[in-house]
Amino acid sequence: MQHWMFNCRDISQKVSESMDRSLPLHHRMLITVHLLMCQYCNRFKQQMKSLRNAVRLNDLPQDETDPTLSLSKETRNRIKQSLKSRLSQD
Amino acid sequence: MSKKRVGAKHQIDDPEHWVDQYGDYLYRFALSRVKDPSTAEDLVQETLLAALSARNNFQGRSAGRTWFIAILKHKIVDHIRKRVREQASDKVESLSDATENESLDSHFQDNGAWQIRPSKWAINPMKIYEQKEFMDVLYSCLGELPERLAKAFMMREIDGLSTVEICKVLNISATNSWVMLYRARMWLRRCLENKWIRTEE
Repeated sequence: MQHWMFNCRDISQKVSESMDRSLPLHHRMLITVHLLMCQYCNRFKQQMKSLRNAVRLNDLPQDETDPTLSLSKETRNRIKQSLKSRLSQD
Repeated sequence: MSKKRVGAKHQIDDPEHWVDQYGDYLYRFALSRVKDPSTAEDLVQETLLAALSARNNFQGRSAGRTWFIAILKHKIVDHIRKRVREQASDKVESLSDATENESLDSHFQDNGAWQIRPSKWAINPMKIYEQKEFMDVLYSCLGELPERLAKAFMMREIDGLSTVEICKVLNISATNSWVMLYRARMWLRRCLENKWIRTEE
C-alpha cells in the first residue's frame, strides 16, 4: 500500500480500531475520504455499528416483555435457596 | 418479602432481593435466546450465583440490571458454545484456537479489495432487538467464535471494558488487543453474512 492512501483491507482494520481508541487525525481523514468513495467499506462500517448495538442491547422486543412470562414460585425458591447456601459457604 | 424495605442502592448487597427484583427480566431475556424454559431458569440461577461470587468487585460500575444482563449474556454464549461443541464434536477442531490466528487474507483480494463484498444488512440499527432472526444468528455466531477472540470481544462489547483493561486481563499488548478485536469482528461479520439472509449485493 502507498502510505498516503488506504485500501479496503486497511480501512476495515482502521474502522475497527476506531471503535476501541481514538485515532490520529490524519487516519480519521483518510477513512472519511475512503468512505466517501467506497460503498462497501461504508456498509462495513454500518455493519460494525449494528454489531455493536446488537451485542450491547439490553432490551427485549415488545412481544417478549409479556408479563405472564415469569419464574414460577418453585423456581424462585429454588434459586433463593441456592443463593443462600452459597452465601453460607462464604 | 418479610424483610423491611431497603433502599435500591443497597439491594445489590442483598442477594435475596435479586430473584424478586431481577429474576423475571433475566428469565425473559434468557428465554428469548435459548427458547427452552428450564434452560432459561438454569441460566438465571447461574447468573445470580456468578453475580454473588463477583459482587465484591462490583463498585457501582453500572446499574444493577445492566450488570446482571451482562453476566447473563456470557452465560448464554457459554451455553450456546457448549451446545455447538456437542453437536459438532467432529468439527471441534475448527472451533479451536487454531482458527484464531487464521489469516485474514481470505477476506481480501491481493490488492486489498474486499473478497466478499459487505452486503447491506436489512436491519434498523435503532430497532435491532426486533430482528429476532438476526439476534438468533448473532448469538449462534458468538458461540462459534474462537474462544480467545470471543473473550476479548465480549469483554469489550458486553462488559464495556476499555482495551487497557482487556490487556491487563488477557496479558497482551495494546496492539494485540486491537488486532484480536478486529479479527473477532471480521469473523462475526463473515459468520453473519453466511448464516443470515443476504439482502443486496
